[in-house]
Amino acid sequence: MEEDVGTTQRREQAFDEENQILIQPSSTPRSIQSAVCANQWPTIDGSLGLSVEDSVICARKFFLWGFCLMPLLWAINCFYFWPVLRFCTRSSSSAHPFAPVRKYVLRSAIGVALATTILFTWSLTFMVGGVGLFGPSWNDLVMYNVAEKYGLIDWT
Amino acid sequence: MSEIPLLRENSPQPSILFTLGEEIVRIIIPVSSCMLLVVLLVTILDTDSIPDLSSILADFSSASASVSVSSIWDDLKGALITSAIFIAMITAVTFLIVVLFYFRFNRFLKSYMIFSSFIVLSLLGGQICLYLISVSRLPLDSITFFLLFFNFSVVGTVAIVPASTSGGMPLIITQLYLIWIAVIVAYWFTHLPEWTTWALLVSLAVYDIAAVLLPGGPLRLLVELAISRNEELPALVYEARPVNVAASVGDRDGVRRRLWRASEHEAPPNSDSESSSVSVSRNCLIEEDSSESAIPLNGQIAEEDSELNPEGRIGLGTSGAIKLGLGDFIFYSVLVGRVALYDFMGVYACYLAIMGGLGVTLLLLAFYRKALPALPVSIGLGLLFYVATRFLLEEFVTQCSVSLIMF
Repeated sequence: MEEDVGTTQRREQAFDEENQILIQPSSTPRSIQSAVCANQWPTIDGSLGLSVEDSVICARKFFLWGFCLMPLLWAINCFYFWPVLRFCTRSSSSAHPFAPVRKYVLRSAIGVALATTILFTWSLTFMVGGVGLFGPSWNDLVMYNVAEKYGLIDWT
Repeated sequence: MSEIPLLRENSPQPSILFTLGEEIVRIIIPVSSCMLLVVLLVTILDTDSIPDLSSILADFSSASASVSVSSIWDDLKGALITSAIFIAMITAVTFLIVVLFYFRFNRFLKSYMIFSSFIVLSLLGGQICLYLISVSRLPLDSITFFLLFFNFSVVGTVAIVPASTSGGMPLIITQLYLIWIAVIVAYWFTHLPEWTTWALLVSLAVYDIAAVLLPGGPLRLLVELAISRNEELPALVYEARPVNVAASVGDRDGVRRRLWRASEHEAPPNSDSESSSVSVSRNCLIEEDSSESAIPLNGQIAEEDSELNPEGRIGLGTSGAIKLGLGDFIFYSVLVGRVALYDFMGVYACYLAIMGGLGVTLLLLAFYRKALPALPVSIGLGLLFYVATRFLLEEFVTQCSVSLIMF
């Protein structure tokens, strides 16, 4: 971790360069802690990734599009903004530059957990239950039979 | 070797061994994994195919026919004609792309790229997944499969497009999807007949040299247009993650990030001042392309009905990271996949040959500092090693084993 002096210097440079969301530095311990958080990039790519304002737009887009039956977008949301989830758990939620991003990422995490639970439950029931649980319709639902029936597989 | 752990901020510049080695490793790993996946797919899906009488008879007749000399000449003629047609179509499509790029039909090119990536990922990739499920008899139900695959394809399409049109995507996800697309296309290319594959590889290597190095070559025109306008190429390119060299100051990171982004937006106002202030050792904007569109080949690949126009170039991005066109990935993997259909000894030999060729190309890139064709050296060496392995090494090893001398 960097020293406090170097951190505040760098943060002031970051203010000049980046955006209006970042708060002004003050000398309270909480701001130093949030300053330490703010020094990090919000994405997993670090300096190659998005800035904070782009991250808000991106997180929001991933979250909203995930509702179109795409839990993978929620999972990618959590993966991409992992520093937001990990490093900023103790700072105050309202006075922090990552707060809007964190809101969407948290909701995506909940969404992923729910969707994975449902999907796994259904899939495992299907696999383990087999013909005994579902009856002959199991053979109509299983993928390799569907593929053969509709001629999707053609061994050339 | 005390200079190696140099990622702390006040340390001196890392040695050239660390940065150069790291960059080379970051391009070798994806190429190797692409080749490995194609070899795995080829071996799993061809030897375990559902046996039935007609396929066995077909194999038998083709095996016996290929022994006779007249049939070899017919194969060769057919192969040359097919590869000539293929090269002609690639040239035509590349010139079309140059013309469209020249007249700034960027949105059309981007939507075409999105469309073709989606088709390749969903249809061709889906068929490979279905083959795998059938062979392994995995009791996956169709609802789950369609949901997962729909997710996978749509996220893949979003990951492939440049980050300026999509919101942003983790770099590793983009790289993984690019490798997966290369694997899909290379796998379907291995379904070509054998002579056609070799003729195609040789003619593509020759075309590559012509298209990139000759002054009238379409790819050279494309690269020069892209450089002069400071835009990105309308193509699928694998870019390795740049190695952070002496990134000790925060604003330099910001500047480098803007440079990287500057190559994707259309001429941002402050890109010129920033590019002059950062003294990156390779400060020339060199990029390459590998636009993708498949042509319908002679009926045996009925599934590929999208246009395929892959070329591979190797060059340097604005942040100094190495960029390799996706066509290179594809044709290296096609070579190795086709060899894998014969025997594994050739696979190891050709893998080493291709890696050696890639190393030579990187060396030339560092020397010439312009966009270079990455196919010819590797394909030439690969072909040489394949011929040597098949006709010389195998004979030697077999005779030694049979006579119980060694191995």
